[in-house]
Amino acid sequence: MEVKESNRRVLEAKELMVFYENMLALNNVTLHCEEESILGVFGSNSAGKSTLMYTLSGIILDIKYKEEMKGGERISVFGKITFEGKDITSLKPHERARLGIILCPERRRIFPESSVLENLFIGSYLARKEREENLEYVLNLFPRLKDHLKRQGGFLSGGEQQMLAIGRALMANPKMLLLDEPLLGLSPAYQEIVITGIKQIRDTRKITIIVTEQYARPVLPIIDYGYILENGSSVLSGTKEELLDNPDVKSAYFGV
Amino acid sequence: MEQLRRERLDRSLKVRTEGIYAISAFEEILYLLGPRLLFIVGILILPFILEAAPYWKRVINIMCAYAIIAISFDFLSNFVGLVCLGGALFTGIGGYFTAIYNHYFSFPMYLSIPLAAVSGALFCTVVLLPALPLRGVYFAIVTLMYPLLFSRIIEALNILGGTNGISGIQSFPNPYIEHYTVILILLFFLFGLRRFVNEDIGLVFRGVKDNDQAVKASGINVTTIKIYAVFIASLMGCFSGAYIAHLYMWAGLSLFALDFSIIPIASTVIGGGGTLIGAVIGSFILVPLSEILREAGTLRIVIYCVVLTLFIVFKSEGLMIYLQRKYHQFERWVKV
Repeated sequence: MEVKESNRRVLEAKELMVFYENMLALNNVTLHCEEESILGVFGSNSAGKSTLMYTLSGIILDIKYKEEMKGGERISVFGKITFEGKDITSLKPHERARLGIILCPERRRIFPESSVLENLFIGSYLARKEREENLEYVLNLFPRLKDHLKRQGGFLSGGEQQMLAIGRALMANPKMLLLDEPLLGLSPAYQEIVITGIKQIRDTRKITIIVTEQYARPVLPIIDYGYILENGSSVLSGTKEELLDNPDVKSAYFGV
Repeated sequence: MEQLRRERLDRSLKVRTEGIYAISAFEEILYLLGPRLLFIVGILILPFILEAAPYWKRVINIMCAYAIIAISFDFLSNFVGLVCLGGALFTGIGGYFTAIYNHYFSFPMYLSIPLAAVSGALFCTVVLLPALPLRGVYFAIVTLMYPLLFSRIIEALNILGGTNGISGIQSFPNPYIEHYTVILILLFFLFGLRRFVNEDIGLVFRGVKDNDQAVKASGINVTTIKIYAVFIASLMGCFSGAYIAHLYMWAGLSLFALDFSIIPIASTVIGGGGTLIGAVIGSFILVPLSEILREAGTLRIVIYCVVLTLFIVFKSEGLMIYLQRKYHQFERWVKV
């Protein structure tokens, strides 16, 4: 794909390799992400999508440390990640979050015993000054949350929890949003809401977004560029038209 | 740039010993049995080795009694998911029950210890019953509270000897019976429990720890399962208490002391949780250590705390998990 001169690469990952003990979870994945674009990463189970997200957000370093202390699996991470021209490979997750890389983890991981409003406020800890504007923005983006502000997070439906998780990530004023399987377990109607929400976030907030998903069809219309992971390696990349033109990809990930 | 990765692989010997081939050659059999035999034989000849130091011979008994409580803690916390902060509840109840049987009913020792273990375990299970259907810290709080409760009841009502305790409990007829009772029972509980947690019901126990809702969905009553687990654990704890009471020929409020709760937990941390044998090794380190530190006076607690903290910071996996890994696996550098 030809890179437009005006678009700068926000995030670049070079030759990422992650081993869980002797199992190769990511094999030589190189990817880059342009400013204000939506990047889709598709792959089946065990393709390495979540590991990629953990590696980009730095959570993998935390998992690695905990496993080490527990005497469990040894995790080795290789490669180089640059964000806005800065090498962030060895930065801890919270330091990366301060730079603006916010992860919205798989299965949402909201705080079940805090209310919706509290969940959002926890997310806004890094951006307390802009809390009110951000709150208003999130509630406009997902009006459904407005009705449940006082309810405990754990008692929301799956779709509302997903909105809440994305909202919580937005409250931190991210420059880059990593969404790990945001459509997991959502009905088609809720998928629609979340997908339009994601597109709206990019258009209005100028945030760069990476979305992973197993089934590419619902996400495809909004992405600018996509990667396909298979068994830890990136087998194909291209714009959505290029991806759709490939017959293997079509049958495997788009259900056509 | 060339990158290297440290790779961990199972030893070929370990892989060979996993199936029926384990009995194919002497080397394989030795690989499997070696560590176990070393432990069993080591602990069995320990009383003879320490013949030269009579003071330390008594430490063996205390060490093994603590090891049994530590196994019960390890079993409850790492296989059933109930964090029990009240080893002292078990020792106290077991000790007082055996004192009652021996002192008031004049049962002989070989009857009063098993009776105290079983009836004490039943008693503990019943008093812990209200906390069992719940998940979380409730069980821990209740177990922490009961030893205080019972010792205060005895003190306030001045029953069962009050603050003086019940003295004149029958002692063991000779030191070797003293040592081997507790050593054999320890070996029985250790290897029995290791086998037990891999039986079907043991798998259910571990399921309760990981996700009790999924266990309920499989048609199993979680509370019943927890009752079995608490009974087994308190059986071990009560045996220890009864044994200690006969060892000191006295049952008093110090059987409810915090030591019986804390040292087993510390042993499990040092030895490595979830291995059972780790808890034993841990108390074999900690109990003699606290004996040595007895001369240091008040500083004993300080040194003790420093050792524990260092362990948690630098080897929080625990000794046994580390040793097992070194025994079964080797490491090498490979190119990425």
